[in-house]
Amino acid sequence: MKDVIDAHNISKTYNRDTIPVAAVQHVHLHLVRGEFTALVGPSGSGKTTLLNLIGGLDRPDEGSILIHGTDITKLSANQLIDFRLRNIGFVFQSFNLVPVLTARENVELIMQLQGMKGSEIEARVQALFRQIGMEDKMNTRPSQLSGGQQQRVAVARALASKPQVILADEPTANLDSKSAGNLLDIMLKLNQEEQMTFIFSTHDQRVIERARRVITLVDGAIVSDTARVATEST
Amino acid sequence: MLLLIMAWRNIWRNRVRSLVIMVSVAMGLVAGLFVMGLYAGMLNDRMRTVIDKEVAHIQMHHPKFEDDHEAVFTMPDLDKTDSILLHHPLIQATAARSIALGMLATAEGSSGVQLMGVEYEEECRVSKLQNKIKEGSFGSAEKKHQLLVGKKLADKMKLKLGSKVVLTFTDKSGSIISASFRVSGVYQSENSRLDEVNVYVKKAELDPLLGLSNECHEWAILLKRDDETDSMKQVISGIYPSSKVESWKDISVETRLLIATTDQYSIIFVFIIMLALAFGIINTMLMAVLERTHEIGMLVALGMNKARLFLLVLWETVMLTFAGVPAGFGMGWLLLRYLETHGLDYSSAGEAMAGFGFGNIIYPVFPWGQLLMVVYVVVITALLASIFPSYQALRLKPVDAMRH
Ligand SMILES: Nc1ncnc2c1ncn2[C@@H]1O[C@H](COP(=O)(O)OP(=O)(O)O)[C@@H](O)[C@H]1O
Ligand SMILES: [Mg+2]
Repeated sequence: MKDVIDAHNISKTYNRDTIPVAAVQHVHLHLVRGEFTALVGPSGSGKTTLLNLIGGLDRPDEGSILIHGTDITKLSANQLIDFRLRNIGFVFQSFNLVPVLTARENVELIMQLQGMKGSEIEARVQALFRQIGMEDKMNTRPSQLSGGQQQRVAVARALASKPQVILADEPTANLDSKSAGNLLDIMLKLNQEEQMTFIFSTHDQRVIERARRVITLVDGAIVSDTARVATEST
Repeated sequence: MLLLIMAWRNIWRNRVRSLVIMVSVAMGLVAGLFVMGLYAGMLNDRMRTVIDKEVAHIQMHHPKFEDDHEAVFTMPDLDKTDSILLHHPLIQATAARSIALGMLATAEGSSGVQLMGVEYEEECRVSKLQNKIKEGSFGSAEKKHQLLVGKKLADKMKLKLGSKVVLTFTDKSGSIISASFRVSGVYQSENSRLDEVNVYVKKAELDPLLGLSNECHEWAILLKRDDETDSMKQVISGIYPSSKVESWKDISVETRLLIATTDQYSIIFVFIIMLALAFGIINTMLMAVLERTHEIGMLVALGMNKARLFLLVLWETVMLTFAGVPAGFGMGWLLLRYLETHGLDYSSAGEAMAGFGFGNIIYPVFPWGQLLMVVYVVVITALLASIFPSYQALRLKPVDAMRH
């Protein structure tokens, strides 16, 4: 079975010609289907940079990144956009949603961009909002939703395109602990029910506890990679 | 589909800024429509003057008459022609004229004139001569040797009612003829250039002097409908192949050119207005793109490709530009509707305009025929205005954009 993510010896240095910052150094990373992985490390350790590289938002200086067998470092800019649309789901730290679209329209947008049929979209939207427990907020604009609700919609949107992997960069950073726990519950549920692969960065200890695998970064290098026994939430 | 919804809702994110653009576009269109309506009204007025008071729809001459106006180039069988023409269901009225170039002399001096030998009743029907007479009268049966002169000529030659003048001209055989006439009336038309040269005498009195009988130099034919002009020109040419048949468009070439060029000028005028507005539109769209850097970066990260991003900015620009169009058309229509009935008096500039054959009050007309052109111009403006903002949007890199 192909790895969902197979990153080989990737490095990224910012400001090469002025004051170089080695944000990611010689990282090897393998993720198989259904993993629920936390990327931890102090601020500035390179978590965002690594996620951006894996997600095809930025290019490494060296190394290769295979997503389900496709080396994304070899794709053109336009191919990369299309690859992201079909294979990668993103959840960002904040301001995830398009403010002029309702919750459901935000989710539909991705499916429309993918060229899904109207009937298919409708069924999937209903299912996704049921899964995130927000059927009653489907037609609400993001500004009327709480931060936690917005992040749940963002997770639904990431899932909408049926990606290989969902990358979440500090998805709970702006949430209170209750909302953060709630979001993690939903992510775990989707991880189990749909065998969806998640990798998320965080420095929230309670979030780290829920992960099945914890990868620790320091100064752009992986210093530990440990599997944990899942502690199911009540 | 959602792209269109996004574009539409996006333009309302900064209401005031968008409304400024919409109001500007609306005002620009009102100004454009006003100018176009005014032009159309002036042309209409000019065309009506040419048809109703000067040329009529169609004129017929001996093919050689136009070159040197020699008395010998007549068209025969006046009575028969008249009854044939009047019999046609599309012909309203006809006027037969005898014409001679000559000199009008008084004790004071002389001036070159064109003698128009006319039948008063016919001329009233075809060229509204009765409405042009400002002083005295013309055409009454009793008095002999009546002469109707234009106000411009009367002023120049110091002619008054009752003044005696001598008219000198060449007859059919080439002999020089002099005859004395008495000013019985003074007329004034919209065209002061014509008023200076055209003098009217009774055809019945001029014909014997010229040596004409049952013939004339000019047929002026008034139709029942303007739009039959070209077809009737063909019909009449068919009946009288040896005569030269021309429509008012052939004769009043300057009017035809005026119509052709004014159409272009008014569209160019609208284009200039829209071009000026384009800078405001570009500025607004640029601000909209820059304010949304993070959002655009996110959309690209999620997989919105360049073509769709371009379309989004393009739609937004088109919608922003077009939002003011209905209001502009509506207000322009109301304004022109009002002016269509009340007219626009510009007598202060009237003196100069009268020289070109325009009336003192213009009745603008709503330029229905050019509305589609205006829409095209607005579309082109929106397309042009969207290029730079979408270029700026396409340049954004998602990672950089989302750090904002
Ligand atoms: N665009 C950039 N230009 C220059 N340096 C950057 C840029 N992005 C991140 N860095 C630097 O790279 C290092 C890793 O940053 P980042 O990946 O954001 O870490 P984390 O997400 O773990 O906080 C930091 O030292 C940061 O200052
Ligand atoms: Mg970070």
